[in-house]
Amino acid sequence: MVSAQHYFDQLMFGVAPYLALITFFLGTIQRYRAQAFSYSSLSSQFLENKRHFWGMVPLHYGILVVLGGHVVAFMFPREVLAWNGHPIRLYILEISALVFGLLTLLGLVMALVRRLVYRKIRTVTSLADIVLYALLLVQVGSGVYVAVMCSWGSSWFAASATPYLWSIVTLDPDISYVLAMPFAVKLHIVNAFLVIGFFPFTRLVHVLVIPNPYLWRKPQVVRWNRGPGSGA
Amino acid sequence: MIGIGNTLSGSRRVERRRSVQQVGVFAIIAAFPLAARGQETAAYFKQNCYSCHTIGGGRLVGPDLKDVTSRKDRDWIVRFILNPQAMIDRGDPYATRILGEARGVVMPPVAGLSRDRANQILDMIEAESAFEKSQFEGVKFSDRPFTAADVDRGHALFTGRAKFKNSGPPCMSCHTVRGLTLLGGGRLGVDLTKVSERIGGRKPLSAWLVSPATVTMQPVFAKHPLEAEEILPLVAYFEHSAKQAGDDDSVAPLTFFLVGLAGMVLMLGLFDVVWKNRFRGVRRPLVAGGEMRTSV
Repeated sequence: MVSAQHYFDQLMFGVAPYLALITFFLGTIQRYRAQAFSYSSLSSQFLENKRHFWGMVPLHYGILVVLGGHVVAFMFPREVLAWNGHPIRLYILEISALVFGLLTLLGLVMALVRRLVYRKIRTVTSLADIVLYALLLVQVGSGVYVAVMCSWGSSWFAASATPYLWSIVTLDPDISYVLAMPFAVKLHIVNAFLVIGFFPFTRLVHVLVIPNPYLWRKPQVVRWNRGPGSGA
Repeated sequence: MIGIGNTLSGSRRVERRRSVQQVGVFAIIAAFPLAARGQETAAYFKQNCYSCHTIGGGRLVGPDLKDVTSRKDRDWIVRFILNPQAMIDRGDPYATRILGEARGVVMPPVAGLSRDRANQILDMIEAESAFEKSQFEGVKFSDRPFTAADVDRGHALFTGRAKFKNSGPPCMSCHTVRGLTLLGGGRLGVDLTKVSERIGGRKPLSAWLVSPATVTMQPVFAKHPLEAEEILPLVAYFEHSAKQAGDDDSVAPLTFFLVGLAGMVLMLGLFDVVWKNRFRGVRRPLVAGGEMRTSV
C-alpha cells in the first residue's frame, strides 16, 4: 500500500517543480506581451537613500553571489567537490557563502523594515510585494539555517541536490536524492519552487530586464538646479 | 502406402516437434517474468539489505537471515520490516530483543519497500537458505591488522584529500569525526566518531560500506560505490577515531556562524568605503532644503 506521505513527496518534489517552471515561462511571456512597461521593480526610493543603501546593496550583492554559487554547483558539481577536497578550501568557500547569505538576509530585513516603517513606501506596497517578501524571508532564512546547521552544503549540494535538479531538467525526476533530507532543506527546496512560480507576478521580473550597460557606462551626474525663483 | 505412412508419420513428428517447441517457448515466456523478478529481488536485496544482513554468513549489524521464516512467522516479519520503529515503539517483545542484539541500532526505513516486495524477499531468503552456500553469504574482507598508513589513507578519503575511485563524494561533505580539523566535518549526517562501536566492529562496518543503505546515502553511492581497497582504510580510520575520541566540537557550527557574521560586518564596511561618494552630501541637503521651503 502506498502511503499518503509518498503522494505528498511526489507532489512536492516531482510535480511542483514542473508547475513552477510552466507558470514561470508562461507568466513571464504573457506579462511581457500584455504589460511590457510593468517589467521593472517599482522604485521605492522617494529621494531617501540612507536606509535604502543598507537594504539594497547587501541584498543584491548577497543574492547575486549566493545564487551564482548554486548555479556553479549545479553546472560543475565535480569541480566543486574537487575544490572542496581540501578542508581549508572547503572552509573558505563555505565561510564566503555564509557571509553573502548573511548579507542577503540583513539586506532583506532592512528593506522589509524600511517598507513597513515609512508610510510613503507602504503606500506603494502591493499584495505581490508582501507575498514576495514572505517567500524571500523563508528562502533566505532557511538557506542560512541550512548552511550553519546542515553543513557542508556546497559539497552535499553537488552530490545530492545537483543529480536531483538534473533529473528534473531531463524530465525523469528522481526524488530519492531529497526524500530523507532534513525539514529545513526540504523547505528551502519547495519554497524555491514557490519563488519561481510567483516570479512572473512580482517585482522579481526586473531580474530579466536589468540594464546591463550600467555595469560599464560612464557615471552620470544628475544636478538639481533649484535656485531662488526657479520654481523647482 | 508406405510412402503415405511415412508422410503421415513425418507430418506427426513435425507437429509434435512444433508443439514441443511451442510449449518450450511458452514456458520460457511464462518463466521469464519469474526469473526477471527473482533477479530484481536479488538486486534489491543486495542494494538495500546486504549491508546489514547475510544469508548464512553470520551476524552483521542485523541478524543472519538464514531460515528466518522458520524462526518467526512470515506475517510478523513483513510487518516488522515495513516499519521496524513502530514495532519497537509498540513494545513488541521480539522486536525489542532484536534491537538489543543490534546494540540499539534501529533498522532504517527501506526505500521502495511494499508488502509484496517484502514477501518476494522472504521467498528469496527461503530459497537461498536451502543452498549450502548462499550468494549472500557475505563479502570477504582482508582481516590483516590495520597500520598507521591505513589510518592516514582513511583520513585522506574521509576529508576528500584522496579521491574515491568511483567519484563518490568525501564523507566530510555530510559527516564529522571529533578532532577532525578547525570547523569539523559536515552536520547533515550523523557524527561518525564512534561509528565502528555503534555498528559492531570491523566486519559489520566493512559490509555496511559496500552499499550504504540509508535513504540519504543510497541514491548517491548506488552510482558511486566504494571499492574494497577504500573500505579498509576508512574502517581503520573509524576505529582509530573511536579510540582517540578527539575534543568535543559541537561548538563548531556556532564558531562558523560567528566567523560568517564577522565577515558580513567587514563586507558592510567595504560597501561603505566603496560607495563613500554616494549622494550623502548633495541630495540630502537638497531634499531637506526642499522640505523646508515647502513647509515655509
